[in-house]
Amino acid sequence: MSTTVILFWFLSALALLGAMMVLISKNPVFSVLWLIVVFFAISGHYLLLNAQFLAIVNLIVYAGAIMVLFLFVIMLMNLNSNTEPQKNTWLKVAGAIAGGSFMLIMIDVLIDAKDMQTKTALIKEGNIGLIKNLGRVLYNDYLIPFEITSVLFLSAMVGAVVIGKKGEAPNQ
Amino acid sequence: MMFSGILVKHHAALKNIAIAGLLVLLGLNVGENYGFALFDINTTNMLHFERFGLLFNSICIFSTLLFVMLSGKDVEKVGNYTAEYFALIFFILCGIGIVTSYVNLMMLFIGIEIISIPSYILTGSDKKNLKSNEASLKYFLMGAFSTGIMLMGIALLYGTSGTFLVERAAAQTPSISYLEAMGLLLLFISLSFKVSLAPFHFWTPDVYDGAPTVFTSFMATIVKVAGFAAFIRLFESRYGSMGSQTERLIAIVIVLTLAFGNLTAVFQQSVKRMLAYSSIAQAGFMLFALFSLNDAAKEGLILYAAAYCLATIGIFAVLVKMEDGTFEGFNGFGKSQPLLAGVLTIFLLSLAGIPLTAGFFAKYYMLASVVKTGNNLGLVIIAVLFAAVSAYYYFKVIQAMFFKDGDVSFPAVTSRFKYLMVAVAAVIVILGIFPNLLLQFMYF
Repeated sequence: MSTTVILFWFLSALALLGAMMVLISKNPVFSVLWLIVVFFAISGHYLLLNAQFLAIVNLIVYAGAIMVLFLFVIMLMNLNSNTEPQKNTWLKVAGAIAGGSFMLIMIDVLIDAKDMQTKTALIKEGNIGLIKNLGRVLYNDYLIPFEITSVLFLSAMVGAVVIGKKGEAPNQ
Repeated sequence: MMFSGILVKHHAALKNIAIAGLLVLLGLNVGENYGFALFDINTTNMLHFERFGLLFNSICIFSTLLFVMLSGKDVEKVGNYTAEYFALIFFILCGIGIVTSYVNLMMLFIGIEIISIPSYILTGSDKKNLKSNEASLKYFLMGAFSTGIMLMGIALLYGTSGTFLVERAAAQTPSISYLEAMGLLLLFISLSFKVSLAPFHFWTPDVYDGAPTVFTSFMATIVKVAGFAAFIRLFESRYGSMGSQTERLIAIVIVLTLAFGNLTAVFQQSVKRMLAYSSIAQAGFMLFALFSLNDAAKEGLILYAAAYCLATIGIFAVLVKMEDGTFEGFNGFGKSQPLLAGVLTIFLLSLAGIPLTAGFFAKYYMLASVVKTGNNLGLVIIAVLFAAVSAYYYFKVIQAMFFKDGDVSFPAVTSRFKYLMVAVAAVIVILGIFPNLLLQFMYF
């Protein structure tokens, strides 16, 4: 086993462990902290794929900015395990059955996807993730989605103003 | 992209500018349908404008125009941010323009999001109403979840084919792999959520009930219909690789949707809630287009979209002005406002699918398309049965209007409003007699 393969398995295990702990942790603050672990592991994966830009952006935006917001909100709301609403047992059972069958299907699908094994991502090779190539693709092939996304963000901003602006003072 | 030009205008507000903008947009769209494009941009395999999508856009824009003309006043009453509300509506139209013409799954995702996010906001725009807030939050959380499912589906599809293109991905793999089927299934689930098909409909009544009535009218018609355009475009090109399994799945969803929507609508007390449930039932009918996926289905969907949008917008335009939204609230409406009541009757008849209205031919085309696929008559019979059930609750409103006494507190309306309503009803009747007037735009 080469180093990259070992790294890959280690990061995958770490990401899975982190994701499990996010769900299991009773304390929401711990959940958020575990989520940061997940993001770091995934950033590691990006690095293995030679996508430095994506890795860094993932760290800065998700692990950095968004997680801080999460932590703020959770601490402001002062959640803890006592205030967590009790869930109906039947709902839990139904959820377990539905989720379980979904998991079975997914596992089955993945086992079946043998042809994917030859198509696994090229570790250490490929340079599409480098910032130069990424920019070239983004502004040539994917220019339209890139521009249209601005409409999405604009609408989100307008919405934030509509919802968030205080007071019902008369317009203008 | 001729849709982006419209987005600048949310600074200068007000109904009339919105109407003017919509007229320009409609003109450009129809012009493009005739091969006259204002400007032509290379979209590098992201969007592909063709008849079906353009005609669909025209219907959506036209319905929005009617919506603004009929209910523009009421939009102003919702809150202080009239300009923003109109801007959000235009954003949604922009999303619709993408969703009806995408060839790339990435554009599908962006389009759906551009439609959804303003919808969440419009739902919650009545900030002082607790129900509106609740509906908005519920819609947002569920919508975000379904977006996640959609992304997962797109990722799986990309994993199997190595491309986001809808067409090429289908051509590459003649027999469908499980992974691809899973991706399609996840996409199906998330799109079903967006158009509120049966197992994924639970948000619909609450959201439509909680949202300000004006915006319910917009979301229940134009937004929902656009979802079906996305559906058709996605499955049309994937159909060769799907086979009977998917057909069975869609059939089950149709029956569930029809059953749930119609049977629950029967027991509603509030007209608004009844319309919410009936919109689920109508979605079931529109899904027939996906089931049969032939030319008749496409024609049917276009007609259905037009008939359903026009009628529902008309009903809501009256309902917004009503103070009492229950069935009793309509008691005696026929005596105090005979003209409006008559027009309303036409809308309701059209929704129920009575002949001589557009709704009849819409349903007819849908069922005919299923008959054309052969040996699915059972489904057709079920559909007809549920259409009969739906007639029951639509007629309940008509009965309340004409055969029950009561005083209706209905504010005075301008004569312009009345003329417009009559015009809409006339369009519905004309489409009900000559549906080809609309369908001819698909072929010329």
